[in-house]
Amino acid sequence: MSGGIARGRLTEERKSWRKNHPHGFVAKPETLPDGTVNLMVWHCTIPGKAGTDWEGGYFPLTLHFSEDYPSKPPKCKFPQGFFHPNVYPSGTVCLSILNEDSGWRPAITVKQILVGIQDLLDQPNPADPAQTEGYHLFIQDAAEYKRRVRQQAKQYPPLL
Amino acid sequence: MASPPFSYAVVKDAKVLMVGAGGIGCELLKTLALSGFPDIHIIDMDTIEVSNLNRQFLFRQSHVGQSKAKVARDAVLKFRPHIDITPYHANVKDPEFNVDFFKQFNVVLNGLDNLDARRHVNRLCLAANVPLVESGTTGFLGQVTVHVKGRTECYECQPKPAPKTYPVCTITSTPSKFVHCVVWAKDLLFAKLFGDKNQDNDLNVRSSDGASSSENVDDVFERRKDEDIDQYGRKIFDHVFGYNIELALSNEETWKNRNRPKPIYSKDVLSDELAQQNGNLEKNCACDDELSVSAMTSLGMKNPQDIWSLRENSKIFLEALRIFFTKREKEVGNLGFDKDDQLAVEFVTAAANIRAASFGIPLHSLFEAKGIAGNIVHAVATTNAVIAGLIVIEAIKVLQNDIESCRMTYCLEHPSRNMLLMPVEPFEPNKSCYVCSETPLSLEINTNRSKLKDLVEKIVKAKLGMNIPLIMCASNLLYEAGDVEDDMIAIYEANLEKVLAELPSPVTGGTMLTVEDMQQEFVCNINIKHREEFDEEKEPDEMVLLGWIQPVSAAENKDKSVDNGGSTTSDAVVTAVESEKDDEITIVSTLKKRKLPDEIDISSAPADVKHQKQLEVIDDEDDLVMLDGDLDSFKKRRLS
Repeated sequence: MSGGIARGRLTEERKSWRKNHPHGFVAKPETLPDGTVNLMVWHCTIPGKAGTDWEGGYFPLTLHFSEDYPSKPPKCKFPQGFFHPNVYPSGTVCLSILNEDSGWRPAITVKQILVGIQDLLDQPNPADPAQTEGYHLFIQDAAEYKRRVRQQAKQYPPLL
Repeated sequence: MASPPFSYAVVKDAKVLMVGAGGIGCELLKTLALSGFPDIHIIDMDTIEVSNLNRQFLFRQSHVGQSKAKVARDAVLKFRPHIDITPYHANVKDPEFNVDFFKQFNVVLNGLDNLDARRHVNRLCLAANVPLVESGTTGFLGQVTVHVKGRTECYECQPKPAPKTYPVCTITSTPSKFVHCVVWAKDLLFAKLFGDKNQDNDLNVRSSDGASSSENVDDVFERRKDEDIDQYGRKIFDHVFGYNIELALSNEETWKNRNRPKPIYSKDVLSDELAQQNGNLEKNCACDDELSVSAMTSLGMKNPQDIWSLRENSKIFLEALRIFFTKREKEVGNLGFDKDDQLAVEFVTAAANIRAASFGIPLHSLFEAKGIAGNIVHAVATTNAVIAGLIVIEAIKVLQNDIESCRMTYCLEHPSRNMLLMPVEPFEPNKSCYVCSETPLSLEINTNRSKLKDLVEKIVKAKLGMNIPLIMCASNLLYEAGDVEDDMIAIYEANLEKVLAELPSPVTGGTMLTVEDMQQEFVCNINIKHREEFDEEKEPDEMVLLGWIQPVSAAENKDKSVDNGGSTTSDAVVTAVESEKDDEITIVSTLKKRKLPDEIDISSAPADVKHQKQLEVIDDEDDLVMLDGDLDSFKKRRLS
C-alpha cells in the first residue's frame, strides 16, 4: 500500500478515539461480512444535540479517507436524501472545515470533524445551501422545517 | 572534499535498472549507452503512441502500438551493438520485480510519470539497499534527486502534494476560475449525461426539490422515448445553463459577496435558424461517418487554438451532444472522460465555456481546455535531455560511492543567479519518515499452521514487548487488543483462532504486517516469510524473528564523517541478529538508525530482509508529462 501516511494517521486517530471520545458518538472502521476491518472507511454515529430539534436522533455518517489524508479531508456522507440545508442530495456534507481550500487543516481530528458536524446540524449555514428543500424550508417556513427535523430524528433512533 | 577522479571502471562494471522508457527514458538510455554502460535493464509497461514521437526519438511511426522498452532497446543496439539491454514490457509493480530482482543492480534510475510508481520503486530500493536516482520534468522544469538509504532523504521523506482537487461547493455553485468550469463540465455534466447513471452526482444541487416543482427535476436528464435529439439537447442546455443558474440566483445569501452569474438560454444565443442549419448538417455528416465523430468537423471549425464565441460554444455543445446520442449511442451510460476522445473534449470545452460565460470567467480554446481537463503539461524535449544527462552524472558519483558529491539538481524555467540549473546538497533522511526510518523485521513462520494468536503471544507481546497491540495488513486491521466495540471484538476473537493464511486479509509469505501499540510510541513492520519446518528443540515456538537488534548504547550515533569511497565500513554492516533472549527490551531506542551499511557492495546487505510490497494496479499512462509534485517541495528547499 502506498498510503503509509494516511494509514499511520488513521491508526493514531483510532487509538486516540479508543482512549477517549465524546459521549453518544460512535466512530469505527468499516467491517465487512468476511471479517475485513477497513481503516480507510469509518462508520460513525452523530447524536443530535440535547435541547435541539435534533435530539433523540442518532445519525449515521460515513467518512471516506483517501490515500492523501490528512493532506486532504475525508469525504463525509449522511444517507442519501438526508434533510439538512448543507447536505447535498447524495448525502455529502458541505462544511468549511471539510473544504480543502478553506477550513481544512491536517491537524483536524476525527473527533473535531464529528463534533463540527453535530454543531452544523442545528446551525445550518444559509450562505452555502446544498439542497433546495432543506434550504427553502429553513428560510421560509420555520414551523415546517422544525417538523421535518423532528420527524427525521425519529427516523434514526438509537441503536440497540 | 574533492571528488575522486572519474574512473571508467565503475561504469564498465555497472549493472543498472532504468524504470520508464518514455520522454526521459529515451534520452537516458541513449546517454547511458554512449557513456559506456554495458548492462542496462529497462522496465516500461507502455506501448508507443503517435503523440510520443515528437520527443521520444528512439521511436518511429511504424513502432506505434509496440512496447516502449523493447523498441528502445532495438533502436540503441543499432548504434551500440555490443552492450546488453534487457527490456521488460511490464509494470514495475508486478511481483516479479521483487527485492531480489532489485538487488542485482548497482543503481536504479527512474524516469517515471506518476507518484505511485515512484513510491513503489523508492520502497523497493530501500528494501534492497540499492541507490536510486529519481527524476521528473514538467515543461521547462525538472529535477534529479539522489536517494541513498541512510545517507540522503528517501523519495518519501518529504510529503508530495497530491494533484489538486476542488471542493464540491465551488464546482457546483460558485466557480471563480476556468478550471472550476472544466471540472464541472467533465466530472459532473459529462458524467451525468454519458456516464454511469448509478454514480453519485451532485450536478443538480436541487434535485431533491420534489415539493415545489411539479416535474421531478432528475428526469430532465432522462431522454424520453422518441424525444427529438435537438429538442433534448436544448432542454439540457436550458436546464443546466439557464434554469439552474436562476435557481442559484434566487438564493441571495450566496451572492452577497460574489458576482451574480447570468442565466443563458439556448434561444437567446442561437436564433431559430439553428434547427434548419442542423438539418443541413445532418445531411452533410450522414455522408461521412468518419468525420462525424467530431462536432468541430461537422461544424466546419478547424483550429483547436481558437477561442470560440458563446454562440460557437453553444453550437458545439448541442452538436457534440447530438453526435453522442446518435453515433455513439451504445457508449452512453458508461462513458468516462478521456482526454484523447475528441468528441468528449469538444463537449467539455463547450460546456465549460458556456458556464464560464455565465459566471463572467474568460473563455478558453479547446487546446487549453483539453490541457486543463487532462492535467497535461506539454513536455519539452530539451528538458528531458538535460535531466537525462544529470541522471547519468549523479549515477556515476553514486557508483563511485562518492555520495558527498551528489547533488539534487533543479532545472529552472528562468535563470536564477544566471543559472538555469540549481544544484542543492542532498538532505539527510527525515527521522520521522514513514518509509525509510523503519527497521523492517522478518519473521519466519508457517503461515498454514500458526494462528494469529500465536503470533500475538509469542512475538508481538513476548519479543517486541508490546502491551496493547494492534496488527494491520495494509490498511486492514487484523487485531486490536484492549477495549473495542462489540462487533469488533467478535471479529478479532475469530481472527485470533485463524491460521495466518486464512485471515480475512491472508497473511502469507511476502506479506508485510504493521504492528503498533496503543500506548507505546512504537511501530514496526514485519515481513512474513513462510517456512514449512522448524527444529523442535531449537525453535520450539515454530517462529524465528530476524533483524531484531538488541538495544545498543549511543556508540551508533551518526557522525558526519562519511566514509569516502571506501568499501569496507565494516562495523556498520547490519547482520541479522536472532533475538531469542528474553531480556527486557527498551523498545524506543532500539529502532534508531543503525549506521548505514556499505551502499554499493550489495553482498553485504542482509539477505533476510525481505521487503515485498503489496501490489497495486495502476494505469497511469500518459504520453505527456504529468505535473509532478516534486517541484512544490523544491520551493521549500533552501539553497545550501
